[in-house]
Amino acid sequence: MTLDRSISKVVVAGGGLAGWSTAAALKRRIPMLAIEIVSSPPPADSIVDRVISTLPSIMDFHADIGLTEADTIVRAQSGLRAGTLLDGWAAGRPAYVHAYGNYGHAIDGTPFHQQWLRARKAGEVEPFDRFSPAAELGRAARVAGTDSAVAPEIGYGLHLTLERYLQLMRAYALHLGVTERPAEISGVELRGEVGFVDKLLLSDGQAIRADLFVDCTGPSAKIRSQLGGEFIGWHRWLPCDRLLFATSAPEGDAQLLDRVSATAWGWQWRASSPASGSIGASYSSAHAGRGEVIATLPPSLEFAEIPLRQGRWAQPWIGNCVPIGDAAVAIEPLEWTNLHLVHSHVDRLVSMMCGSDFAPVELFEYNRQSGAEADRIRDFACLHYIAARRPEPFWKEASSIEPPESLVHSVSLFAERGRLPYYEEETFTRDSWLAVLLGQGLEPRRTDPLADIVPMGEATQSIAKYRDAVKTFVDSQPGYQQSFSSLGQHA
Amino acid sequence: MRTRNGARLAGEHMVNDSRLRVVVVGGGTAGWMTAAALTKLLPSRCHVHLVESEAIGIVGVGEATLPHIRGFNEKLGIDEADFMASTRATFKLGIEFRDWARVGDSYIHPFGTFGTGQGELDFHHYWNRARQEGQPVAPIDDFSMAVTMAYLNRFAIPNPDPSTIESTFNYAYQFDATLFAPYLRRLAEQMGAVRTEGRIVDVELDNETGNVAAVRLESGERIEGDLFVDCSGFVSLIMGNALGEPFEEWTKWLPCDRAVAVPCQTRTALSPYTSAIAMPAGWRWRIPLQHRTGNGYVYSSAFTTDEDARAALVGVVEGEPIAEPRVLKFKAGRRSRSWVRNCIAVGLSSGFLEPLESTSIYLIQAAITGLVELFPEREISPVDRDEFNRLIDAEYDWIRDFLILHYHATERSDTPFWDYVRTMSVPDSLEEKMELFRRRGRIVKHREGLFLDASWVAVYIGQRVLPEGHDPRADLPPLPALMQNIEDLHAQIRSSAERMPDHRSHIERYCPMMDAA
Repeated sequence: MTLDRSISKVVVAGGGLAGWSTAAALKRRIPMLAIEIVSSPPPADSIVDRVISTLPSIMDFHADIGLTEADTIVRAQSGLRAGTLLDGWAAGRPAYVHAYGNYGHAIDGTPFHQQWLRARKAGEVEPFDRFSPAAELGRAARVAGTDSAVAPEIGYGLHLTLERYLQLMRAYALHLGVTERPAEISGVELRGEVGFVDKLLLSDGQAIRADLFVDCTGPSAKIRSQLGGEFIGWHRWLPCDRLLFATSAPEGDAQLLDRVSATAWGWQWRASSPASGSIGASYSSAHAGRGEVIATLPPSLEFAEIPLRQGRWAQPWIGNCVPIGDAAVAIEPLEWTNLHLVHSHVDRLVSMMCGSDFAPVELFEYNRQSGAEADRIRDFACLHYIAARRPEPFWKEASSIEPPESLVHSVSLFAERGRLPYYEEETFTRDSWLAVLLGQGLEPRRTDPLADIVPMGEATQSIAKYRDAVKTFVDSQPGYQQSFSSLGQHA
Repeated sequence: MRTRNGARLAGEHMVNDSRLRVVVVGGGTAGWMTAAALTKLLPSRCHVHLVESEAIGIVGVGEATLPHIRGFNEKLGIDEADFMASTRATFKLGIEFRDWARVGDSYIHPFGTFGTGQGELDFHHYWNRARQEGQPVAPIDDFSMAVTMAYLNRFAIPNPDPSTIESTFNYAYQFDATLFAPYLRRLAEQMGAVRTEGRIVDVELDNETGNVAAVRLESGERIEGDLFVDCSGFVSLIMGNALGEPFEEWTKWLPCDRAVAVPCQTRTALSPYTSAIAMPAGWRWRIPLQHRTGNGYVYSSAFTTDEDARAALVGVVEGEPIAEPRVLKFKAGRRSRSWVRNCIAVGLSSGFLEPLESTSIYLIQAAITGLVELFPEREISPVDRDEFNRLIDAEYDWIRDFLILHYHATERSDTPFWDYVRTMSVPDSLEEKMELFRRRGRIVKHREGLFLDASWVAVYIGQRVLPEGHDPRADLPPLPALMQNIEDLHAQIRSSAERMPDHRSHIERYCPMMDAA
């Protein structure tokens, strides 16, 4: 038996950030593929093309495809982001920071949060996020200029200047040898056999064929949706179904932390980098009208509204069509996972690239991993709702739903003794989960008996010492503006 | 079962602090590993009372271990050289499989990676490409540091610097399991574990809660506890007998149900690896210790008789047998749950998987780790219990598939046994894994736990499950450069292994056994 022939021609459909990022990555990492992009402008409901905040994984994506910080930060006018300040999620509690990096450090081999919980039971201790060097740097608008044992794992995401970044990605993809077909997709023709795309009909009257069609057309999944199959809706767990976006001019000082505030009907955000800013809201149309929501946002801005049906395809990859990013998983940008999912999907596609048979066993493993990943991102977003404590009807409903089974598993293990389970395909680290759980005031019934190995006095001393070390470290780091302009000079 | 009525005997172990009274039933490897771990790691949470009977022998599972045991020993503060000397241990770099896919074949499943593990792709993709392009390329074994050392009978401790080729392997031990339990016993007793000698004749359940209340000994002594750890071996005194937890049998996939074991004198060099050699109705192990070599024939009673198996084994062992052959009976499978009410089954009382990949002690360790991490309060939370059972199930299921692969991926039809395993149907989860590898050499992702990618690669390729294609990225390096790299790697591994000390001389310097009995 000989194996199927290799895939040689790939069409990437969609000329937004998902499409150009996908085209560039595929061409760079599997250069023998002929990549053609149908570069229709991003559809009105594209989420990824409107969100300026990204996760630290974007840096790895850039490194994997050979882009430098001189390109992606300086030339593309991106800013840095250290995390998110979440406020108003739990009434009576202070705002908390979800930053990317370690929260505390292990004490005699025991997890920091267990010792922190013990210390809290015994007396006063500062909030959990005060032990995150990344969160503290973010609050102080400073950037880690040096490596430190106190902060071994800080990761920065970017604030994109969207049109600049898109230009960069397009230019890079073309430079790598991607061919561009500037046209709209006017139709999709299927093959006789079930689940295969034959060709795309284009607005220029031509048709385009390929071995593999990569659908980057946003939440409507223009191509993938023609092949049918189940779309798993998440509405009962993630009740927001409208997004409002506006781009704001940079105002005041650029912030390393985005602000995400819970409101009566959902939540709203504000992000600002040296070169751009973003303001928006995610809300439930069953609980508020557009006017009501707009009234809470700055009056001078023009807001675009897009409808959102959160969920994912049960089997994203079918036959010769694989959806990427929003086309595969539609989720509100609460934890800024939209572009992250594009990168993760492309990375998986590269690692699992099959042959022209599109053997079910190969697609099955791709779909298994992608599904598990999407579900854990859903769980992490849903955690914000079920852990919320606010009086409005929207929140009463949101926090009383029965969460997905895997989230129940995480939360009940945590509630018992502060333990978190391990899942394959987890996007957010244990410290990220802890930041939200503890930030919103969920606390385990008891601490882990293993933590008792450290005498209480020793534990509180170590906690206080670490807190001092974080302060000293943060105070000695350069300010964001200052380090940012020096980055510009080096590039 | 009796209930807790009538006179309450004041157990000598009654305590009035808040610590849980843990009763460990059985003093074999599982029992003493549990007792040592609990006394060391949770001194403020429990008292450990172990009950064992010297009249009941121990199975002494797992003379061969996996690298995870080093983590266990470290946590217990065990000094490696002292432990190795006391248990007459040798180093283990992997397992050699002989005659599995075809008679005459052999390969080693190493503890470590193939190649440096540093490239964009795992080494086997490049190896595959070279092979598929008809290039003369050495067997994949030769690109493993551990395998190369093993075949040369060399050993050295891995280099902690991950940029070196000497960091790409790991190791475990081969030891005398009948000496490991007493070694741990000394440790556990020093740390406060209490031991009672006696045969258990009754398990008392509380008639209100259904929990285990106490065990009663032949002597009439009654030992109460809050938590019972069943380490009673195959008999599964509490979990199986008293609580009646069902046993899920996997005999249709893993048909071996007997083993005959006999130690013999060592006639050859001291190999730093265990061997698993295919036999007409199963396979036999060969485990070299400092003072002797352990041998055993694991077979299916449906395909041979005890007498024939014994004769077959005695006929092939290399040296003079130094004990009477001993027969063990077992069934592959596991209890539906390993933690039920206030009883946790650890070791053979929870399930059995044949020692083909030396997983017995690993499974004990996994259960102990789970118990320590999820150690309950007096009132047991179902959340903790369910999580424990989920973790143990996942371990068993993953290992099960890996073991079945060894049998199923064969071309042998020369005996009814091999023909059966070759043609039997296997779990869908394994079928998918094999098919995925067969196409482009890909491994189903599994990041945490046992048997990661390199293990599957070793066994697939060793058993002639060869990919028909390869990852397209393996085509990126120009062929001459790729072949040069492959040759350089081969030479580098070879010369590094040749510079390492001989296994026996390393042991004689580092951890010679104390009495040459």
